[in-house]
Amino acid sequence: MEQKYLTRLKISNISKSFPNKEGKRELAVDNISLDVYDGEFLVLLGPGRCGKSVLLNMIAGLMKPDEGKVVLDGEEITKPNPQMGMVFQKTGLLPWLTVMDNITFGPRQRGESKKIYTERAQKYIDMVGLTGFEKSYPYQLSGGMKQRVGIARAYTNEPKILIMDEPFGALDAQTRYSMEQEVQNIVEKDRRTIIFVTNNIEEALMLGDRIILFTNYPARIKKIYDVNISKPRDTMDRTFLMLRKEISENTDLAL
Amino acid sequence: MRIKKEKISTEYKMKYSIWYHVLPFLSIGLLIAVWYLGSSSNPMIFPTPNTVLRRMIELSQNKLSGYTLIGHMGVSLLRVAVSLGLAIIIGVPLGVLIGWSRGVRATIGAVFECIRPIPMLAWIPLMVMWFGIGEKSKIIMIFMAALMPIVVNSYTGIKMISPLYLDVGKMFNASTEWQLLRSIVLPAALPTIFAGIRNATSMALMVVLAAEMIAARAGLGFLINRGMEVFDVSLVMSGMVAIGVTGALVAVLTNFIERKLCPWNRSI
Amino acid sequence: MKVKRKFFEKNDLKYTLMTVLTFVVFLMLWQVLAMNNLIVGEYTPSPSEVLEAFIFKIYNVGPDGNLLITNILTSLQISMSGFVLAVIIGVPLGLLMGWYRLLDRFVRPIFEIIRPIPAVSWIPLMIVWIGVGTEAKAVIIFLTAFIPCVLNSYTGIRQTSQALINVAKVYGASNFYTFLHVGVPSTVPMIFAGMRIALASSWSCLVAAEMLAASAGLGYMINMGRNFGRADVVVLGMIIIGFIGYIFTTVFTVIEKIVVRGGTI
Repeated sequence: MEQKYLTRLKISNISKSFPNKEGKRELAVDNISLDVYDGEFLVLLGPGRCGKSVLLNMIAGLMKPDEGKVVLDGEEITKPNPQMGMVFQKTGLLPWLTVMDNITFGPRQRGESKKIYTERAQKYIDMVGLTGFEKSYPYQLSGGMKQRVGIARAYTNEPKILIMDEPFGALDAQTRYSMEQEVQNIVEKDRRTIIFVTNNIEEALMLGDRIILFTNYPARIKKIYDVNISKPRDTMDRTFLMLRKEISENTDLAL
Repeated sequence: MRIKKEKISTEYKMKYSIWYHVLPFLSIGLLIAVWYLGSSSNPMIFPTPNTVLRRMIELSQNKLSGYTLIGHMGVSLLRVAVSLGLAIIIGVPLGVLIGWSRGVRATIGAVFECIRPIPMLAWIPLMVMWFGIGEKSKIIMIFMAALMPIVVNSYTGIKMISPLYLDVGKMFNASTEWQLLRSIVLPAALPTIFAGIRNATSMALMVVLAAEMIAARAGLGFLINRGMEVFDVSLVMSGMVAIGVTGALVAVLTNFIERKLCPWNRSI
Repeated sequence: MKVKRKFFEKNDLKYTLMTVLTFVVFLMLWQVLAMNNLIVGEYTPSPSEVLEAFIFKIYNVGPDGNLLITNILTSLQISMSGFVLAVIIGVPLGLLMGWYRLLDRFVRPIFEIIRPIPAVSWIPLMIVWIGVGTEAKAVIIFLTAFIPCVLNSYTGIRQTSQALINVAKVYGASNFYTFLHVGVPSTVPMIFAGMRIALASSWSCLVAAEMLAASAGLGYMINMGRNFGRADVVVLGMIIIGFIGYIFTTVFTVIEKIVVRGGTI
């Protein structure tokens, strides 16, 4: 528990606005400050389209904040950084690459030796249960399998911080549940700092060590919950249910 | 997927129907019958299928203007292949550049956009004035006709790339423009670029005919034109059949190459 | 909120200036090179010569024997008649072929035989069969425009959502009623896309069609210009064809947007 309080990523006072249809600037992320600790599973929970994705894009270095900054291990983030991995909401698998080539995309761009990255990729392919599908193209996979590829791809790039942007949003309830179990297993085997975005309270409570609850658009931090329930968690656990009720009463309705 | 199944089951039922199998033959039979009927009135201007077939066999055995029918097909195809090759070598990089760089788009792209609405066939008279009617002039005409669709498609293909793929590239270490271009942009645009090459091929086949009909000593357009000059309609029709067959063969070939190059693309 | 991220277009004054500058340089270079016969030889008119030819052709009939406006109207008339004919025959045919499989089986072989033969190669045959009048030209343009009309309507109606068809079936609609009220409306965007392609190709086929002996028309004007060695008239004809083609596409795109506003599901 000691290491948990070592700050890995420091987000200080970041804001971002976009021009709306009438051309006026509208705030999407409003003055957010947040510390991400080493090795924690941090969940960002907020109603649909509340600006979480914008926040994520800024953390990942894909967008520049209007104000404030994101600092990783003492270094300000201005462009995408190999220390950070991302599992995309719409999987973002490259349709022209096979599963293996998708997963090894990152190391190949970095110019790593083939032997090393293939071995590592195989390890993660086995871990997410895609053994035998190495040569398939994304269109041949189901939604759940595609996102497994996305997860294996992020891990194979060996990031220090892993960002998951509503990774299971497009899956049906059954697949979603089993994918949550899967993520938990992987996290146990291969501990990394994870920032996980979701709009599903149950999912947040299943996975998160800490849950940041956001307001509806623009995104502001509403409340921070520490989830001190041992994993794997039981959805019928008393503390679980109480927290769930509390969070759900505190959540803004998004229409 | 459930929807597809339903469609397949109705199609499956259809296939048991006798008509489903008989109709295609009936239609071709009807076509030939109408052809015969039409040509019986005036075989001079409307030769029978028989005559055309005999003419084609004769053409493939005896040389006309130095080539057999296959030879003339070869001449036209060679012209198309050379021009198309040049158009791909120049057009794809040009289109990619216009799509990728804002500066190139604002300059070369703008000029291109201005020339684009002028149909390729309208260039032919000017080309004849500039370059005469020799081999070089034909190659230039076909090249220009093929260049347009290739450039336009390469450019559109690049413009249409989903920003998500660029994000993926950036997140996974494609840090330089060149890396992004090579590992994300080009493969993502490849199917669209290929569609452009397919359009270019049919444009090139059209223009090679037009060019050969203006003046040539060999090629399918020459055959058609010669047929018209000496009022030999069966020769004209033989040329048309040959160009139809050539077009179909070229289409099969491009499809095959596309399947090999873009195995992930299911719209082929 | 969905944030639209534009990777490609930012309205920068810098780039607009670059475009303007490009055209200025382009025209100036063309003028200078053409005046000194530095590009491809003597048959290169300078922009100012083309402009002069334009003004000249408004009031004078030389060298082809028609005022510019006569040529434009003749061409418009021919290409429009071919285009309209292609839409009237091609669109319903494509729709019916897409909906009724047996019709598809019957018509498709003939269609596939005709499809790979370029319209240009029909020209001699048309001269022999129909002569060199307006009809022959209209038929050639028809043949060009016909194919995209059929193909797009066919592909479009084949993509009709089975769910919509099932809804109609559940409410007891007959097959023909479903075709008319579900299949056809849901295909409208594709039909329009096909018509746009057909319009463009019917206009671009014009020069070739007017290479048949004609007595007026833009293609005829270009051919006459070539015969008389008047490159300025040739280039003028090309520019006008291009310009009208551009107007066609623009106007049609606007109409398309208005009609297709409902969009697909």
